[in-house]
Amino acid sequence: MPSDELTEKSTAGASPVRYAGATKRYPGSAKAAVEELTLEVPAGEICVLVGPSGCGKTTAMRMVNRTVEITEGDIFIGEQSVRERNPAQLRREIGYVIQQIGLFPHRTIAENIAAVPQLLGWNKERVAARSAELLALIGLDPDLADRYPAQLSGGQQQRVGVARALAADPLVMLMDEPFGAIDPINRERLQNEFLRLQAEIGKTVLFVTHDIDEAIKMGDRIAIMREGGRVAQYATPAELLMDPADEFVEDFVGADRALKRLALMRVADIDLWKAPLAEVGQATAEVRAALEGAEVPYPLLVDDERRPLGWLSERDLAGGQVPARPDSPLGPLLDRDDIMRDALADLLQGEAQYAAVVDGEGRIEGVLSVEIISEFLASPEAKTEEHSATERPRE
Amino acid sequence: MSSPTLTLAAVGEVGKGFIHERTSETLPCQATEKLFCFDWAKENIDRYGTPTLQHLELVSLAVLFGFTIAFTLAVLAHRRRWLQSPLLAATGVLYTIPSVAFFFLLLPLTGRGVDTAVIALTAFNLQVIYRNTIVGLSNVPSSVKEAARGIGQTDRQILWRVELPLATQEIIAGLRIATVSTVAIATLAVFAGGGGLGAPILQGGIDFKTNIIIAGGIAILMALAFDLVLLTIQRLATPWERVARA
Repeated sequence: MPSDELTEKSTAGASPVRYAGATKRYPGSAKAAVEELTLEVPAGEICVLVGPSGCGKTTAMRMVNRTVEITEGDIFIGEQSVRERNPAQLRREIGYVIQQIGLFPHRTIAENIAAVPQLLGWNKERVAARSAELLALIGLDPDLADRYPAQLSGGQQQRVGVARALAADPLVMLMDEPFGAIDPINRERLQNEFLRLQAEIGKTVLFVTHDIDEAIKMGDRIAIMREGGRVAQYATPAELLMDPADEFVEDFVGADRALKRLALMRVADIDLWKAPLAEVGQATAEVRAALEGAEVPYPLLVDDERRPLGWLSERDLAGGQVPARPDSPLGPLLDRDDIMRDALADLLQGEAQYAAVVDGEGRIEGVLSVEIISEFLASPEAKTEEHSATERPRE
Repeated sequence: MSSPTLTLAAVGEVGKGFIHERTSETLPCQATEKLFCFDWAKENIDRYGTPTLQHLELVSLAVLFGFTIAFTLAVLAHRRRWLQSPLLAATGVLYTIPSVAFFFLLLPLTGRGVDTAVIALTAFNLQVIYRNTIVGLSNVPSSVKEAARGIGQTDRQILWRVELPLATQEIIAGLRIATVSTVAIATLAVFAGGGGLGAPILQGGIDFKTNIIIAGGIAILMALAFDLVLLTIQRLATPWERVARA
């Protein structure tokens, strides 16, 4: 059966994508839209093409499925040259998500998701099963399967757009500003959902955006492009932020790139301060002794499971024993797995200098302070810390 | 007002056997200026059977041929943009030629009869159907077409699975206008020897209002019936157009 053959090919998993001097020249235009682009995206990674408008990032992406024809050079998916393929058949093996979503208004949600499997000639039962599976994967109510796109919200529609792209288990996904037209709250949610999904399915993804924050969030690697589709820097997000290749990249990444780095770190990645601990009923003299030379000037009251209860003030220590009710509330409480940027936001919002950091069981791990973060951001050695772990940017 | 005999003289040979025989009898109603003679209508309604069927045939054939030709031209012009304006102009000319003049132009070529009438009515139809099909196809959102292409539909699949279904509403809207107009214009087919509801009107003369009202009434009902059928098809064919928006 021909459909079986197609299935085997399409379930082979992810493939690397390799641009080999791919060039796009439009007739009547002196400059190439994309000039000899050479870039390799490893299998199963999200590569974000980012740059100012008109830099050729979308053209570069669309050359992969030949919705833009390559003028010179080639692009390989695995070992296969895209130029040797029939364009329509090639596209059925590549997931495609666009900003305007482009769902078929005259088809139900289930039919939209089934579009590619239908083109591939899957039988009805298999198409229906796959449709249901994908609805579950993108977390959409199965009752919506028989609705039309116009009956869904923008966010729901784009989830369906992603599901349609994934339906035939493509080797590669192309996503052209997929969340660009969604409101900020839903965009963040969709980004997180897609990252979670990607952790499960591990596709090779080419993701186009003009938003550097989105690029840093979504990309395993980021290619910063300038006009003519030339790659200014191709590196991991951390590398880009710590070591911009030139002024163009530095400008594009923005003056707040140190702050952006915090988005890539977790609280556990930094050296925390040790808090002087105190338990209820403990002699205050003992607690005072522990305060000597401690980085945090206040003792932290914990229960017998070492779970933080609150901060002790001078007044609390006036008596002979540590009282059961601390004078100051606990304030922000952080998990060691929290994103550093969110942790900083919590500190600032709580107008606190210090925040207790706990592990998965809620036991005290250490204390994060605004001072730690600002010192980290300022220290040159911190900037090289992660640098050694990642490879040099390639050109 | 002129007397029945004067009217007859004006209509000439055509009127023979329709009013003439009646007026020679003593039928008070249509000899008077009454708007509608129920007695006469009741007695003579079967006179309209054949003209009605002829009319139905004229309209059906003209719309069928008109749709086939105009739709094909529109799809062709959708692919080859440079054809759009010349075809619009050409169908526009055919639309503008007065039908009666068109009949007389065709007479030397195709002779008197249904053929001549259907050819002229078909030519009249082309413009509306062609234009609506072109508009319907060009109104399909480019994002939907881009997505269709991007997921691997061929040009033909995009046309038949995406563009034409999404243009259905406009196409049928054009068909409805064309059909209703054709029902009206087809009353002139009698001048081409094509019969239809124009025949009794012409035969009865302009003063015999009962006859005009009956023939005209049948034409109006026919137009409404066609329109209702097409509207139903349109609604059944495009269920997505009437869903509650999110």
